[in-house]
Amino acid sequence: MAILDSVGRYSIQQVEYVGLLAIQFWHAARLLVRINPFGGKRLRWRRAIGQMAEIGVRALPVVCLISGATGLILALQSGAELRKFGAMEVVINLVGTTMTRELGPLVAALVVIGRSGSAISAEVATMVVTDEIDALRTMAIDPIDFVLVPKSAAMLVMLPSLTVLAVFSGILAGGLFTYFTLDMTIAMYLRRTAEILLMRDIVSGLVKAVVFGTIIVHVGCLEGFLVTGGPEGVGRSTTSAVVKSIFLVVLADLICTGFFYFFWR
Amino acid sequence: MSEPKLATGERRYPHEAGAEPVISVRGLRVRYGDRQVLDGVDLDIYRGETMVILGASGCGKSTLLRHLEGLEKPAAGSICIDGTDIVTASRTEMERVRRLLGVSFQSAAMFNSMTVGDNVALPLREHTDLAESTIRLITRMKLQQVGLSGVENLYPTELSGGMRKRASLARALAMDPEILLFDEPSAGLDPIIAAGIDRLILRLKDAFKMTLIVVTHELPSAFLIADRMCMLDQAKILAVGTVKQILDNPHPRIQQFVQRIADDAPPGSQSYVTGFE
Repeated sequence: MAILDSVGRYSIQQVEYVGLLAIQFWHAARLLVRINPFGGKRLRWRRAIGQMAEIGVRALPVVCLISGATGLILALQSGAELRKFGAMEVVINLVGTTMTRELGPLVAALVVIGRSGSAISAEVATMVVTDEIDALRTMAIDPIDFVLVPKSAAMLVMLPSLTVLAVFSGILAGGLFTYFTLDMTIAMYLRRTAEILLMRDIVSGLVKAVVFGTIIVHVGCLEGFLVTGGPEGVGRSTTSAVVKSIFLVVLADLICTGFFYFFWR
Repeated sequence: MSEPKLATGERRYPHEAGAEPVISVRGLRVRYGDRQVLDGVDLDIYRGETMVILGASGCGKSTLLRHLEGLEKPAAGSICIDGTDIVTASRTEMERVRRLLGVSFQSAAMFNSMTVGDNVALPLREHTDLAESTIRLITRMKLQQVGLSGVENLYPTELSGGMRKRASLARALAMDPEILLFDEPSAGLDPIIAAGIDRLILRLKDAFKMTLIVVTHELPSAFLIADRMCMLDQAKILAVGTVKQILDNPHPRIQQFVQRIADDAPPGSQSYVTGFE
């Protein structure tokens, strides 16, 4: 009975968490339109720009490095196998499609989780602990509107942008491999890649980036809002935000990939 | 400006002068888990008066304040502020009531990512369409009112505790609230700075005829600023009255509190601080 009890309690907690995420998402989605730079609230737009620099621009070097390394590893590993069949040129297809559909968005998302997902939850949790969120509410300012929405807008712009650059640096690193093993110029390699890539690949990569960005920002904020127990709770909520974001991003990746596999051939 | 008198002197209090209650709390019950934090609290606060909520730590006074601010919903009871029951109020009604309230938190709750000036200007930028130059002017004025000048461009972490508290008061005053709620204005401050905050509260009270609600356990400060006091103990209100009425109340818990006698003090002990009256 004890097992049943704890399984039931755990399930209810998880369902409750998903419910909270859904409520937060719905609430934020309706407020997101107010952020537009033409006729929206000035302050929101300014905050969103600041967040964009934080989430996107500062993450750029590390995203490009990791994604480039991933692209090179992918080329090396697949090259080692494909060499046996004399099909080295397939490396171009593999690197191009895998980076675009899968690894570009994933690498960008994982770096952003590590940098910004944790920072978002720490910031929000600190605001809860120091009564800043309560202060906002007493000033009749919606904390979701003030804190989450600018971050969400910044993330929706920046994660797809980072993804594009991640994909590009991954493919470029693959080109380095073909340059040395196949004596193929980078320009030729890029032309081949462009021929191989379909609209489907690019769209699926960008859709993933949008979904991942939404997950990162909402999980980060929700973990922050749910902080309990003073300053040491901030550390716990940061860890929890990172772990939950990674899990949900990979899960969403699987669902998106399955969706594109079955519904857009 | 006249020197503020000790509030026990001869004067007519707003509740005697026919003012109507601006806040009335009826049958407020709050539970946290198994613990009854507030158990049937009834309280009227009249327009223009300064109500000090007194009580030992953990007696529920901060909880009462959080409910008046609309930050939490009670298990039962009603809280009418300016004719609106905030327990059942809709979002828009709640927004209207919140504009009447200014809140100064115990921890000051300044936004550390913004300058002091931006902190004070925040409610104005959010809720009004005033021009940026006007907002700057109001911000400077509000900071001057609390005795802070030239700190607009500093960050809250660069201020001392007393200055942060004043700055948070300036932010609470930014929208010209009718009711000001104050949680532990002098907690964690040295006596001189705390006395400065008390003087500031008295000045605001004289100048703006605001309704002030102050939660504190600092007796000297409470006696100085209060029109009426309300003593909370173990989730219930023990007594409500003017400073004199509270001091004369024979209830043993109240006498223990106002005379600062420890729970385990030997019988017949006297307070070691005297001369408040």
